[in-house]
Amino acid sequence: MTIVLNGKGFKLPRVEKEKFVNLIHLGLDYDRNAGLFSIKSYNNIEKVIDAVSDILKDDVVFLQSCIRCGKDFSCRGCNYIDLCTTKNLPFSCVCSQCLKDRKNFETYLTQF
Amino acid sequence: MQAQTDLLWVEKYRPKKIDDITGNDEAKALFLEWLKNKRHTKKAVLLYGPPGVGKTALVLSASRELGFSVIEMNASDTRSEKAINAIAKPATSYKALDNFTENAKVSGNVLFLDEVDGIAGNEDRGGVNAILKIIEASLVPIIMAANDPDIEKLRPLKKECLLIRFQQVRIPLIIALLQKICLLEHITAEFEALERIAQNSKGDVRSAINDLQSLSEENHRLSLQDTMMLTSRNKDISMDETLRRYFSTQNIAETSTMLAFSSVDYDDFLLSISDNLPKRYTDLTELAKAYDYISHADLFRGRIGTENWHLLKYFYNALAEASAVNPQSYKPFTFVTPPIRIITLFWTKGKRTMLDTICGKIGAQCHVSHKTAKHDFVPYIRAILQKKPKSPLVVWFKFTPEEVDFLTKMSRY
Repeated sequence: MTIVLNGKGFKLPRVEKEKFVNLIHLGLDYDRNAGLFSIKSYNNIEKVIDAVSDILKDDVVFLQSCIRCGKDFSCRGCNYIDLCTTKNLPFSCVCSQCLKDRKNFETYLTQF
Repeated sequence: MQAQTDLLWVEKYRPKKIDDITGNDEAKALFLEWLKNKRHTKKAVLLYGPPGVGKTALVLSASRELGFSVIEMNASDTRSEKAINAIAKPATSYKALDNFTENAKVSGNVLFLDEVDGIAGNEDRGGVNAILKIIEASLVPIIMAANDPDIEKLRPLKKECLLIRFQQVRIPLIIALLQKICLLEHITAEFEALERIAQNSKGDVRSAINDLQSLSEENHRLSLQDTMMLTSRNKDISMDETLRRYFSTQNIAETSTMLAFSSVDYDDFLLSISDNLPKRYTDLTELAKAYDYISHADLFRGRIGTENWHLLKYFYNALAEASAVNPQSYKPFTFVTPPIRIITLFWTKGKRTMLDTICGKIGAQCHVSHKTAKHDFVPYIRAILQKKPKSPLVVWFKFTPEEVDFLTKMSRY
């Protein structure tokens, strides 16, 4: 099974100190009040995925956020996934609906 | 001033605002946060990632929006210790006088060193150390950009910098940008055609825009069929094939188009053409004319450097003119390739290394530079050893038998 996480905030089970320090070192941030991890630095994002997968003992993918409609969506079903060097990493993108929707695109352009 | 219509689209649609930059939103946010608030904790930032993803565009647009004046040194400048100190030291030692004007938007200077991974060789000697000293003493933010941050010489710089990684721009984002340009340029484009251009670009926005312009500028219409030509770019046409097409051309326009779609190294190609021109033009007047065009191309190649790609069309034009001095006189011939200069450097590498070792030994004993040893000492030592191979000089300079043999038999130095 694959676990889908949202890079803006996700929960992890309690981890030992060394693993927690490693996560922070790799670029995660921890909100004590909400108990949520979020991504602060994307320089080691591939290593973050490995570390989180190791903690959750499962494959992990992150949601993408659409720059046009603002929704979070998964890379599953993307036509370009084989050519993408950042697949399943939490970056901004354009969802497939927005990409083909001409009307939506023209509305988006009026923002500029 | 150049008309807007005459501009390359990469220039015309160069991001003016931060929001105009496609992709890498996370890196943009981190950079802006540093430039606005956190530049006191880390004085320098290193932006790294593949070409054409918006590193330089972000620096320029963010500086413009936040009111910084950019003092830029890029790969076309010599970046030795002396040159960096001459430009960067004054720029980073004083806050801009503009700070004291009534203009509230002025925030001071930023020093921008583009393509720092290109600081190499003798010309840029001491460059990295000079940058480190400037970072330590600087009063203004220092921004650096590189494609490959993992090279050894950048290691000390990385320790002093906030590192921000740029990723290849995703295909859907490139398609979205191409759609926007099509709308602004009144081009009717098939979605599949834009998709193909974006896929072909491999995350390089600059090359995607160039492809779009070259395929659709004339007809204002773009179909999937039109993009079939792009396939050839991915096939990586060999130098031999490019030369064959170049020399057998019938007109300038044909050559220009072929060159625009070729992916051979510009410098190697220029050298190869120079080597092959005497085979192509047997008439001396034609040959002289062709070399004249090649010299213009060489001039533009120098001016292009790694930054001024808007001059590329002039480079192509000059090359194309050299190919079409007399199209009727073309007869197939065997090309000289790779370029003679490169072959010579390859074959003489062993000899050059040996001579360098010898000059090093002379320099150490006589307290002179390698250059002085090579020009002022080697000819005399060679003459002495040719007459008396067992001269005491051999022991004094600690020459090996191979080095003595090399010196006595060398024909030129």
